[in-house]
Amino acid sequence: MAKFVLMLPHAPDRYQNLGEADFMDLMKDYIGWVEDMTAKGKFEGGEKLLDEGGKIVTNRSGSIEVHDGPFAEVAEILGGYMVINAADYDEAVEIARSHPHMKHNETIIIRQTDASAD
Amino acid sequence: MSATERIHKLLDETVRRERGWLIASLVSKLGPSKVELAEDVAQDAILKALSVWPYKGIPDNPRAWLRRVASNAAIDRIRRSAREFGVDDDWDFVTTDDDVVTPSLSDPELDLMVLCCDPNLAPQDQLFLALKTVCGFTAADTAALFFMTEDALSQRLSRAKRQLKSQASRIARFPTRFALAERMPQMMKIIYLMFAQGYLPRRGDALIGDDVCQEALRLSEGLIAATHVTGVGLHALRALLLFQSSRAPARTNAVGELITLDQQDRASWDQAAIARAFKHLAAARADEQVTRYHLEAGIASLHAQAVTWEATDWTSMSRLYELLSEQAPSLAVDVNGAVSLMMLGDTDSARARLDAAGARRGANAFPGYHLARAKLAEQIGDRAAHQSALEAARTCLTSSAVSAHIDRELSLLE
Repeated sequence: MAKFVLMLPHAPDRYQNLGEADFMDLMKDYIGWVEDMTAKGKFEGGEKLLDEGGKIVTNRSGSIEVHDGPFAEVAEILGGYMVINAADYDEAVEIARSHPHMKHNETIIIRQTDASAD
Repeated sequence: MSATERIHKLLDETVRRERGWLIASLVSKLGPSKVELAEDVAQDAILKALSVWPYKGIPDNPRAWLRRVASNAAIDRIRRSAREFGVDDDWDFVTTDDDVVTPSLSDPELDLMVLCCDPNLAPQDQLFLALKTVCGFTAADTAALFFMTEDALSQRLSRAKRQLKSQASRIARFPTRFALAERMPQMMKIIYLMFAQGYLPRRGDALIGDDVCQEALRLSEGLIAATHVTGVGLHALRALLLFQSSRAPARTNAVGELITLDQQDRASWDQAAIARAFKHLAAARADEQVTRYHLEAGIASLHAQAVTWEATDWTSMSRLYELLSEQAPSLAVDVNGAVSLMMLGDTDSARARLDAAGARRGANAFPGYHLARAKLAEQIGDRAAHQSALEAARTCLTSSAVSAHIDRELSLLE
């Protein structure tokens, strides 16, 4: 069983001005999915990233520059990530298909962790 | 209940209970004039705290977790804008024991309940406020409960809160123990109304109704548990609520249709609740005065004791309804009193009682009135009157559970 990281981006203003009832419905979908995947042994964990803040540290010809970011102008920001267990990319994609993120947002980025040295 | 439904219920319940607790704690710290602020801060804090659950799942002890994290978020927000809110900037509030979530009513919740039961507010507004703050229901849920639009409810709530604020600004702290005793009858009335509203057979979402009944039970338990509180009728009220809720499992069939008392499977009544109800009824005997709650609990106890509908002690029943109609006359009391007279075979008195009921406002829109008329017509063999009464019941605006029941009765006649 391999581990895959699901990265969950959303539009910067996706959750602003969302009514409480809509927010709760969304929450229920996501939480329900996580609980379901946990019961099936597919869910390993996840973290929500803070909406506000963020830094970009860049090496510009030897000098380190620090910038605030990402900014609201970008099309999508990373809301958080989850780690799941799947046999291969096919299964990981199948799991991602069932993710409520596909109903409430547009994109999930899947990457397999490199376990070759484990 | 499916796994998804269980999760939804757990989330709704957790959020609601912790919202109520947090609002109460904030009000007790910020002062009674800041109910609206407390609601906003509690809401933001809870949503913020909850927003990590979609990525991690539900923690082991969701209520304790939510209480801890949302309290911290609320403290942060108050501190950041302490001046704007008109509070000290060394502001803090103590969460008693993070891991112990009190089963019943905390002191701040009790205080907030007293505050909501301000005699200057209309009883219905008191009820709205209690549901929205102490019980933590959302505006949408509360509006649905009363078949109102959310806008209409919000307007009434803000008006009530403005009034509360103008009252509260004249008192430095919370109502004293004296005020608490003084408002006790009002608090009991609000709990009674809350339960009654939750107990109504309703269209659509039955779960809200169940939750509201549970809240009324919790509040009545909390008032009894508060050792410095005594109230005439309190044990009787709790007995009444327990008797009523003991029948909940038998009240609807598998497809959610209403089953009336005479048709219910008495074996499925919650005997544990009934036993507790009888204990409270016994305790209620110590009261120096017989309240409507005593009489209604007495009526409910007769049903609880009866092996069948027919074997009910209708003599005592009709006597209790007579006493009740002196203390708290209402359409429903007249109608039910008439039914108990019919069960005794006293059709003349039953008819007189139903005529009295029919003269009351709202009688024609009350399906129970027409159903009782149908029963009387059936008893005296007037088939035409029987059918027309059932049809009148059918045209009343009522819950789908009740209409399904009436349709079944009508189909039996055809």
